[in-house]
Amino acid sequence: MIDVIAQALPLAVVASTPLLLAVEGETVVERSGIINLGIEGMMLTAAMTAVVAAQLTGSAVAGFAGGIAGALCIGALFGLFTIVRRADQIVTGTAVNLLALGLTGFAWRELEQRDLFTRSVPRITFDVIVPAAWIIVPIALAIMLWNTSFGLRLRACGENPEAVRASGSSVDAHRWIALIIESVLAGIGGAYLALALSSGFAENMTAGRGFIALSIVIFGRWKLKGALLGTAVFGATAAIQYALQATSRGVPFHLLLAAPYVVTLLILCGIAGRVRAPESLGK
Amino acid sequence: MKRVVIALAAGAAAIIVVALAGVATGHRDLLLILLRGSLGSQFALEGTLLKAVPLLLTGLSVALAFRAGVWNIGGEGQFIAGALAAFIASPLGVVAALLAAMLAGALWASIASLMRLWRNAPEVLTTILLNFIAIHLLGWCVNGPLQEPSGQYPQSDVAIASLPSLGATELHLGVVLAVLAAIAAWFLLYRTAEGLRLRATGLNPHAARGAGINIRAQIVRAMALSGAMAGLGGGIELLGVTHRLFEGFASGYGYSGIAVALLAGLHPLATIISSTFFGALVTGAGELQRSANISAQVATLGQALVILALALFGRYRAHD
Repeated sequence: MIDVIAQALPLAVVASTPLLLAVEGETVVERSGIINLGIEGMMLTAAMTAVVAAQLTGSAVAGFAGGIAGALCIGALFGLFTIVRRADQIVTGTAVNLLALGLTGFAWRELEQRDLFTRSVPRITFDVIVPAAWIIVPIALAIMLWNTSFGLRLRACGENPEAVRASGSSVDAHRWIALIIESVLAGIGGAYLALALSSGFAENMTAGRGFIALSIVIFGRWKLKGALLGTAVFGATAAIQYALQATSRGVPFHLLLAAPYVVTLLILCGIAGRVRAPESLGK
Repeated sequence: MKRVVIALAAGAAAIIVVALAGVATGHRDLLLILLRGSLGSQFALEGTLLKAVPLLLTGLSVALAFRAGVWNIGGEGQFIAGALAAFIASPLGVVAALLAAMLAGALWASIASLMRLWRNAPEVLTTILLNFIAIHLLGWCVNGPLQEPSGQYPQSDVAIASLPSLGATELHLGVVLAVLAAIAAWFLLYRTAEGLRLRATGLNPHAARGAGINIRAQIVRAMALSGAMAGLGGGIELLGVTHRLFEGFASGYGYSGIAVALLAGLHPLATIISSTFFGALVTGAGELQRSANISAQVATLGQALVILALALFGRYRAHD
């Protein structure tokens, strides 16, 4: 059993890479005081635009660019509502998720009927995303958040936006930058999901990863170390799940499918009581 | 009055954008098919009303929770919990089955409210996670313990009890029950002390606490009520329409309830109208998929556009 799990671990690291990118992006955006429930829809949109871009150009790199562009569109919409119009963040996030589900479902069916996609989806040949997501991005974001004055101001936007305003900086500008960082990361995550982990787009293919990411941000106490640890814990349980699936020892398949959400729920309950969110989160 | 105008404008804006999406993709007759499929015949009208029933109940569920300032995004899971309980209790009769559905919905929702009270876990996430757990639990049931005896399809047997149909139509008694539920929710909110406490908690928790309301107990009760409504929706859908459990049973009714409730301005009686509107949209979208091969996800798109329009112009806040 142990060796089966050990075999499944590298797979779990790769499979939880889109999740990790989402956790990192959401950590930054929540530090700036925004809770983006729409990250699920952001990744789903990116998955579709990535496949469309990759199909049309035959290039995986263009696919990732397409994914980032799709996520940026969703990010711009979310920012327009929550930063410019000060609409409720939870309501907007929920609407964004429904919008992404409806729009990708509608658009994908239309595209499929038009025989635009004659070639198979290009695969990435050299995977730079996994080491980037697990090593480079967290170090870069941690340095940005805790070792630069920009990062200090960004975190202040999440704790005490009035103080940022009083010091003459724009809260909105910092939140926009945080949202752009999140969109790029979620866009890469969505593209990786569609181009590397699957071979194309499927309706609702993100399957709640965005919500799991939101939970891991809390587990990680809004820190990048915590983001890595939380995703690793989650990935390890995923490895056990794969191993159980492979050996099919007793546990029914459908109950195994529920396991990631049960684990996330338990993680959330185990930790949430003892952490403090950024003071102005969601306000 | 202003809120009614904004709601009407939001509904109209969503339909216009959907129609424009149709024109942009070469389906000029999208709006016509949508109308014909939802209102154009007696069959279409009955379909619209049948779809409006689960939407009304999940809409009421969201309205009650949001009124109390609780983010219950878990209508989908509570709907499934209700349907599962109704199926299991159906040998005891239709009344017992519906009561079991409400109880199961309330209990499933209470997992989230208790997690919030004891562990401070945000219900906006726990309710969503519980949706996924309910979906896979149902998947296990219809592929395992509750699968039909032949074992050929991932679905349950036909439930023993069922809701009587209304005359010579496709409609069932659940239509009446859902409207009664809306009236009951209105009475609760505006004519009882419990409703006043619930609304006060949502409007200003600090002031409510100052007025002697036990906020924690109020949130648990509001969440249970909200879950019971969604659970009842699942029970009625099973006993009135599908008669069997299967994977994909809830098909987004829980999330659609958010659009229904927000369009109604979280008012239980207005929810009757908004659920009929979205019922027509869902039914028309089904016709689009059948006759024009346009994705039925157009209905989801419409719901999203309504919420966005309300957020943009209505300056929507959780408690107003």
